[in-house]
Parts: sequence; structure tokens; C-alpha cells
Amino acid sequence: MTTTVVRARGLTKRYGSFTAIDGIDLSLDEGRIYGLLGRNGAGKTTVMQLLTGQIFPNGGELEVFGRPPAEHADVLRRMCFIAEAQRYPEDFTPAHVFRSAPWFFEHWDAAFAERLIADFRLPVKRRIKKLSRGQLSAVGVIVGLASRAPMTFFDEPYLGLDAVARHIFYDRLLEDYAAHPRTVVLSTHLIDEVANLLEHVILIDQGRILLDRDADEVRGSATTVAGARAAVEQFVGERPVIGREGLGGLASVTIDGRLDHAERVRAAELGLELAPVSLQQLIVHLTGAELAESNQKEVVA
Amino acid sequence: MTATASATDSAPARTADASSRLRPNEILRIVRLHTVNPAIFFGVPWMILGGAWAVTMIIALIIQGAAGPLDPTETGFEYSWAVLSPQWYLIVVGVQAVSYTFPFALGFGATRRDYWLGTSAMFVIVSVMYAAAIATLLLVERATSGWGIGAGMFDALWYVGADWGTAFYTTFALQLLVLFIGAGVTTVYMRWRMRGMLTVLFGGVALILAIIAVLTFTETWEALGAWLASIGVVGVFTLVLATAVAWAIAGLLVIRRATPR
Repeated sequence: MTTTVVRARGLTKRYGSFTAIDGIDLSLDEGRIYGLLGRNGAGKTTVMQLLTGQIFPNGGELEVFGRPPAEHADVLRRMCFIAEAQRYPEDFTPAHVFRSAPWFFEHWDAAFAERLIADFRLPVKRRIKKLSRGQLSAVGVIVGLASRAPMTFFDEPYLGLDAVARHIFYDRLLEDYAAHPRTVVLSTHLIDEVANLLEHVILIDQGRILLDRDADEVRGSATTVAGARAAVEQFVGERPVIGREGLGGLASVTIDGRLDHAERVRAAELGLELAPVSLQQLIVHLTGAELAESNQKEVVA
Repeated sequence: MTATASATDSAPARTADASSRLRPNEILRIVRLHTVNPAIFFGVPWMILGGAWAVTMIIALIIQGAAGPLDPTETGFEYSWAVLSPQWYLIVVGVQAVSYTFPFALGFGATRRDYWLGTSAMFVIVSVMYAAAIATLLLVERATSGWGIGAGMFDALWYVGADWGTAFYTTFALQLLVLFIGAGVTTVYMRWRMRGMLTVLFGGVALILAIIAVLTFTETWEALGAWLASIGVVGVFTLVLATAVAWAIAGLLVIRRATPR
């Protein structure tokens, strides 16, 4: 049985005349890994700040663990959110952060934190101000993993991390998640890096949700059809199109939806090439500026 | 709501804590968070006080060297502000407690209310400690006739002639005010940003001007002076303490809806 831990309806956040989050509906289940994807400034961090009660919504309803999160100690103590631009107390070092973490996270695993510190080669005695971007990200990643909070947020955890460190994060998260299931919300704009980690994808753009689907479903949900322009157009017909490119007499069209066997055979007969679309490609198609507004609506519907 | 009864809640005792209005553990951990890096509240203020003391000693030695042994009845050191030197730094500590530590505590899942109560407890602890230290050092300075060289750092300003209790009370009140002004003004920034800061600043200036105007037009300056003299040093510092408490309460109301940047 799955328990819904987050319920949002018409959630809105405005900063003056700028609408950061525009009436979104959201529902997160316990024990899954969610990817909150979108371009810079799409509203990913704002969503996380709303869910963790760090900021107050201007409209709509929000319940986390059954209550509005802001100022509810019994909700907040089950959450861990180290923001990408997290502020730390003056002259804090990573050692100070890890020493105080167990007072706030009842499931804190100090031995696991030690192992992660070694994995990431984090200089724990260096002031946080003097850390590189990657080391700063490592602090947030270590707190997020070792806190074992029932609801853990990772805000752009890959920022500045090198390839080895990214791989360590990926491995440790999956390992620990298997042993200690919890709800994880991970925001990033580096989609291909996390694509295999995610169980559910929420794509946000300009404060609205463009896509809210199971990751496996998303991965096989679009196909690129390439070949002679006339043949491509004939094959595509009335199908919902998410992307269209052309060069001379050749065309490449990305369509939403799965193709069945008969359709694949027909495509082969028309001399068309079919290619799967990666999560990243799909999201670029969905949020790309060159797309017509009508196409995006079709996908959401 | 069924989701509240999550299986992840393994500590029923702590759940009981969380449901009551006063959560000692949640408040205590904020105090501990403030002390995890002891330089902020303890190290640096003591260094400043020690530095001011060293400067006072050197000045006394220079005077002594140039003009011979200091007359014990010399009152020049009574006008030294050296004893107040850590106060300016502690305003900054109050500011940083809200501008840096507050967003961090929120990320760690503290509520704003618990954060403010814990921070207030920390301010009280620090103020008691400094008040006790300064009052005691005042007595030491008198007992050693100015550290053996007729120098005076603590026996200055209103401390002249004050007993331990008065020195403790006045230092405590001033210390608390300084910390709560720093923190309180920063909660205003955290909630309303620059617009709030300017409103408080201009509002404060307008209030002071209004008080000056009223006192001048009603010609009650002398009456005010006489009243302050009648309540004495302790009375004046009771006003200071009351102001500190007012800032503390205002801070709690403001921080409940404050948001980190």
C-alpha cells in the first residue's frame, strides 16, 4: 500500500508581480525517488521551499504528512532540505554541520556520514565559505544521505561534483535507499545524469507542471521518426508532435506515445528510421523555446 | 489524515514532545547549535574584552612612564568606554544569529518558533555569563587598586561606585538589549526585506524626533532628567531590560512568518 505524503492543489507562490509557482497540483507517494526537473529558474527550488515550509504559499492547499508544513514541528522533523544556496552559520565548517546534525535528525547515521566524508574527500575542518562548489554540494549530499529523513530533498546535488563524486552519490543513494526506503525529491537540470535513478519525473517550467509521470513510462513514451519528408508526414498523420526538425527533403519528427508492432512494420515499409528518445531529449523538446505552445498542451493533456 | 501515522515514526516519546506547546528538546538543540562553534558567542567577545584590557593597561603604563605614578584619586579612567567594547561585536552576533543560523536551522527542520525561543535562551545565557564576569572583574580591579598600576577599565561610567549586584544587573540588561536589537532588526529584514528595514529605520527616527518635539514643546526635559535621576541607575537599566524584552517579543511575532532568502 502506498501512502501519499505530499498533497498540493492549486499551489501558488508569487514574488511581487512575478509568479514563481502558478497553481500546481502535486501528489507524492511514500518511498519513491522523484525527479524535479526543469530549466534554471523554472521553480524547482521554490517547490522544495514550499514543501519544507521555508516559504509560505500565496494560494492553494498544501499538506505534507497530513498537515501544512510551515511551523509544524512533527512534520518538519521528518524532512531534510539542504538548499543549493544554503546559508550556514558564520565560520561554520563541515565538521560543525555533521556534529549538530544528530540533534535534528533522529535517524542520523554518524558512521555512514564518516564513510561519505571519506568517499567525497571532504575537508571537514575547512570553513564552508572556502569550500569549492563541488565540496559545498558534497556537504548537502552527505547531510541528505546520512540524515535518513523520511522525506529528503536534494537541490541540484550534482552542482560542481566531478564524475567520480557524481557516481558515488548515485551508488550510495541507491544502496541506502534500498536498505532504508524513504521519499526522495531530487532537483536537477542535468537530466541524463540522474535519468536511471528516478522512479517518477515531474517536469516544471515557468512555474507550471508540464509532465508528471512514472519515469519508465516517460522513457518509452516518445519516438523520433526520421526519413523522407513526405513519408514522415504521412506516417505521423494526426499524432501529437513534440518536436519537428527538417533539412532539405528530410524530416525528423518526435511524436508522443508508444508505437505498436503494426505501426513499426509500417514505418519500416515507408523506409523510416525509428529512434527512442532519451529523458533529456524529451525534456529539451518539452521545454525548448522553439516549441509551439499548442504542442506543449497536447503533451500535458 | 492517515499519512500522519507513518511507519517511519519510531520514537513515540519524541512525538509526545512535539505535540505539546513547549518542546524543551527542540529548543535546547538550538542552544547547542549556537555553541557548536564556540568562537562566535564566547571566543571573540573575550578576545575583544582582553584586547581592550591590554590597551587600557598599556595606556596606564605610558601615562605612568611620562608623568610618574598615577594618583589613586585620578578619575580619568572613569570616562573610558573600554568595558563596553564587546557590546558592538555582540550586535553583529545578534544579526548573524538570524541572517545565517536561522536559514540553516530551517533546513535542518526546526520551526521558527523553536528557533527564536532557543536563540533567546542562548542570549540570556550569554548575557548572564558576561554580566557575572564583568561584575566580578570590576571587584577584582578595585581589590587590586587598578591591576596594581592604578589603571581602570571596569570601574568606569555607571559602574563607578556600583556593587556586584548593580554591575551584574546593568550589564545583563544592556547585553540582552544589544543582542535582541541585532537579532530583532534582522528578523524584520528576513520577513519584509529592504522595505521593512527602511520602514523600521524611518519609523525609529520619526519616533525619536516626535519624543524630542514633545519634550521640547511641553518643556519637560528637566522633568524627564529629574525622573531619570530619581529612578537611579538601576531604574534606568530596568527600562533597558524592558526594551530588550519588548524586542524579544516583537522578534517572535516577526520571525513566525519570516522566510530565508
